[in-house]
Amino acid sequence: MAASGEIRTATMGFRAKPNSMARQTNIIRIAIVLIIAVSWEALSRSGLVFKDVVPSLFSIGAAIGKLLTLPAFYANLQVTAWEIFLSLAIGSSLGIFVGILLGSNRFMSFAYEHYVYYLAPTPRIIFFPVMIMWFGVGIASKIALGALSCFFTVALSTAGGMREIDKVLIRVGKSFRATPMQMGLKIYLPAMRVPVLNGIRLGFGTATVTCLLAETKLSNQGLGYMIMQIYSRFDMPSLYGLLIIVFVVAGIGNLILGKVTGTSA
Amino acid sequence: MTEASSAATVASATQPQLVIDNVFKQFGEGPGAVIAVDNVSFDVKPGEFVSVIGPSGCGKSTLFNIIGGLLDEYSGNVMIERERIAGPHKAVGMVFQEESTFPWRSVMDNVAFPLELQGVAKSERLDRAAHFIDLVGLKGFEKRMPFELSGGMRQRVSIARTLVSGPQILLMDEPFAALDEQTRLLLGDKITQIQQELHQTTLLITHNLTEAVQLSDRIVVMTYRPGKVKRVVNIDLPRPRTSDVVSSDAFGHYVAEIWADLREEASRGMQDSENMQRGRARRG
Ligand SMILES: Nc1ncnc2c1ncn2[C@@H]1O[C@H](COP(=O)(O)OP(=O)(O)OP(=O)(O)O)[C@@H](O)[C@H]1O
Ligand SMILES: [Mg+2]
Repeated sequence: MAASGEIRTATMGFRAKPNSMARQTNIIRIAIVLIIAVSWEALSRSGLVFKDVVPSLFSIGAAIGKLLTLPAFYANLQVTAWEIFLSLAIGSSLGIFVGILLGSNRFMSFAYEHYVYYLAPTPRIIFFPVMIMWFGVGIASKIALGALSCFFTVALSTAGGMREIDKVLIRVGKSFRATPMQMGLKIYLPAMRVPVLNGIRLGFGTATVTCLLAETKLSNQGLGYMIMQIYSRFDMPSLYGLLIIVFVVAGIGNLILGKVTGTSA
Repeated sequence: MTEASSAATVASATQPQLVIDNVFKQFGEGPGAVIAVDNVSFDVKPGEFVSVIGPSGCGKSTLFNIIGGLLDEYSGNVMIERERIAGPHKAVGMVFQEESTFPWRSVMDNVAFPLELQGVAKSERLDRAAHFIDLVGLKGFEKRMPFELSGGMRQRVSIARTLVSGPQILLMDEPFAALDEQTRLLLGDKITQIQQELHQTTLLITHNLTEAVQLSDRIVVMTYRPGKVKRVVNIDLPRPRTSDVVSSDAFGHYVAEIWADLREEASRGMQDSENMQRGRARRG
């Protein structure tokens, strides 16, 4: 019994995780969350820390309930979602385009790719003042900044994916005299699907971070703006509540994107 | 026997379809340079089956890529129908030595690929692809993805994919290397059958002597580094030929004769790599 189970695990491990392991992970996950929740509540009630810094879980729960009934919350959510969506669309398109240029052209990659590498890890928020000057304080400057951050991630993973294409597949296409258009659509694109989609998924993460961050700096709408507003009122339960909501929404967004692109975490 | 030799005289009267004329290719410059193909010349007549045989590393794949128009920067000429090729020629279909199925396409879609490029209508595409899938013995696997197949099965997908495009000149680089002996013989029969039916000109690159003698009208034996033509052997075994020919006396005769040449070259190749290893060990 045990031996046959092990063989199954060994041969199928690549495709499907064994059930018992998934169950174990879930138990550990729930346990950790419970421990944190109980410690938090204990700390809150102990009176050891300032009550407002560690509010009771029940007050946070109540604040979440209240936030979810506010029309303003949905208006801000919509603004932020729209910003992230456009950032992702613009940043990914440009990123794929530039990534293909860098990946396919030895001269281009020699001349420019190291700049992309240098710029990629710089915090995008430092470009925010520039974006405000170019695009104003409205959502356009957040979209531009989000697109910029998404662009680097997608461009680098596309360029990498382009170079890792099995060269013989390109020779196959050429031997069948595929046109450049056919080479692009039927060989390069499908061959790069996985790295490009992974790049887009990572790009979603960076775009989300950047848009929210930019909203907290200077804006008059969006979830980041709402967080700062609540913070300025020192309404700690609502602040924690909103953070939890943002966390969950971003998680759901990532999950949906993962499903759509067929790349799982 | 007489039938075969009369066929051979008819063939020799016709113009060659593929001419390889003084092809020379060197990789790198200076002391590290490797001459992969050294002034190789031979030609292939319409409908003829020619094999190029030689030890590993002698430049066969390089020659294959040059003939397929995938490698420029060589000297000499490759002529098809008396014209020097510039890039992949429309009469040529290639089967590569490496794993070359598209991992994101099913068996059916892999095989239908060349037809898709030509803009053949979907239903016709599927019909024609299905025919060649059946021919290479993969009926029932149409919907499978390459990763679900064995290496030998994937290689048969590549062969079917090239055959479906109906090339006048078929170039194959060790297409049977990943197959077991039985499948190799049977698939060899299939290839011979199509080749004879369609009167398809075929150039097979191989380092398998049995395979070469079984299938060919002529065998070009290459030397190990630099890759030169050592000898050209005509194989006057009767056609139609099946894998049964393998047990005939004449077959054994050809194998023994070519093996003598080949052994010399192969052992030079082995020595070369042993020396290289020893040199590396001394340095390291
Ligand atoms: N792109 C390349 N750059 C440098 N050297 C190369 C390149 N391609 C091949 N060579 C060298 O040329 C020689 C011939 O290689 P080739 O692949 O043509 O051999 P082969 O006869 O096909 O061998 P095998 O039977 O193992 O496939 C080898 O010594 C190889 O190292
Ligand atoms: Mg080779």
